[in-house]
Amino acid sequence: MDRVVFESVRKIFRHRPALFNWLGRERGGETIALKDVSFSAGRAEVLALLGPNGSGKTTALKLISTMLLPDAGSVLVGGFDARRNAGEVRRQVGIAVATERSFFPRLSARENLEFFAALDEVSRSERARRIKEVLRDTGLEEQADTLVMKFSSGMYQRLGIARALVKRPSVLLLDEPTRSLDAATTAHFWSTIRALARQQTTVLLATHNFAEAAAIADRLLLLHRGELLADRAMGDGESADALRAFYFRMTGEIDEAMGAIHRAGSAP
Amino acid sequence: MNSTTMNSTLDKLRAILRRDLLTAIRHRSGFVVTLVGVFTELAAFYFLSRAIGPGFRPNGVEYFPFLLVGTGVYTFFVMSAQAFLSAVQEAQQTGTLEVLMTTSTAPAELVILSSISAFAGNLVNLLVYLFAGVAVFRAAIHANFFSCVAVLILSLAIALALGIAAATLQVAFQKGSALLWLLGSGLWFLSGTMFPIQSLPRPLELLARVVPLTYAIDGMRGALLEGQSMTAMAPTLAVLAGFGVVLLPLALAGLSLSLRRARQDGTLSFY
Repeated sequence: MDRVVFESVRKIFRHRPALFNWLGRERGGETIALKDVSFSAGRAEVLALLGPNGSGKTTALKLISTMLLPDAGSVLVGGFDARRNAGEVRRQVGIAVATERSFFPRLSARENLEFFAALDEVSRSERARRIKEVLRDTGLEEQADTLVMKFSSGMYQRLGIARALVKRPSVLLLDEPTRSLDAATTAHFWSTIRALARQQTTVLLATHNFAEAAAIADRLLLLHRGELLADRAMGDGESADALRAFYFRMTGEIDEAMGAIHRAGSAP
Repeated sequence: MNSTTMNSTLDKLRAILRRDLLTAIRHRSGFVVTLVGVFTELAAFYFLSRAIGPGFRPNGVEYFPFLLVGTGVYTFFVMSAQAFLSAVQEAQQTGTLEVLMTTSTAPAELVILSSISAFAGNLVNLLVYLFAGVAVFRAAIHANFFSCVAVLILSLAIALALGIAAATLQVAFQKGSALLWLLGSGLWFLSGTMFPIQSLPRPLELLARVVPLTYAIDGMRGALLEGQSMTAMAPTLAVLAGFGVVLLPLALAGLSLSLRRARQDGTLSFY
């Protein structure tokens, strides 16, 4: 059975001008963030939602986490509807959001994790050991007792991932997880993610980094302006170069690597 | 509620109280400023009552104890709602609100547990305020312990409703502070904080009689300054209970609706 199912999901953000806007130029309107998107993800699968800024990747993750509700269609996690059974869905999902600093600044990393672990109903007997594990997995052991107000953006990012992992979610949502990480931490992080997938965790990763998505994911979902353009399994007979060309052609983005080769070739 | 659910809820409450206590302790300057503020305010009221003279005895009690209880209960109400609102605003600004809404704890449970923490801090402030008034400025009291506790518990439900209403407006329109400002100044004027409501013109006095805080202040004065028994205070306690029974479910339903709308519109972290 698929663990995450998107069925014809539509999400629209409506812009309401401020109540007293006589002098302003703010106008109402709407942005269609997702247009009837359908896909599914099974156990032990690593799925990359790939697309440029504004393609709807983060919206898709927020819908799965119940942070947002769909305007049409349904989102199912472990058979539970995210609208009708939000509580059951939240028990299964861990999300590491791109927003850094979503922590309590005057608490240490360990104290923050203890707080969120309590709200996520991680048992008291298991909590200390579990927090130690996730701090080790994210390379934050040495900063465990540092107030997070003193953290760098990379450390915040790692702590966000630790928070998502602490409740042992069956579905892990990662939004640009390696954006502020150094190369060594990134490599260690991806090996942790692959290990989680081997333990039957479903991982959904939102990224605009094609190389990273192709290296880590079992499947790539290509999103562009709220539409699902392609759903490709890696190693499906299609070469990485062909997929890469397809991605950059469909999104109209510039392939920096190819551009660099081209510039080098045409240089005098 | 079975024992597992009860243990889980207590564990969450402990986590929230610990978070707020650690944050307060590490904000040392805030604690000192609060303490200095308490003594400055009490000193101002003490000398105001001396300037007015012993002839002015509202409701038959000395003016300083009258002011002590009125301003203490008023401050407890407004600061509790303010603390609760600030927690929501801060969570919106730092992005923790969205993350909190994805934990296994239901939003309504989270809100109530957070409010208990906000109220606990202000309850300590109220006790320090009253104790300082009695011990340092020699306010004469004649307390009935059980009546005080009854008034406090019933007042808490109303203060909680006020805090949740402010949080609802904050989530829905990002205007919780405006409601509190309006309510704060209106309540100060109408609830008999500094003078008996009988001094107001008749229409305003009638308006004051539909303000829940009027009964909370009146009840606390009766229990703490006049030592009235619970039987003697039954009408006031009944009115306070009635306000709580009506306002609290309304406020919770409003918050639930506003959170749902924010999740639909994607405005949960707007501020």
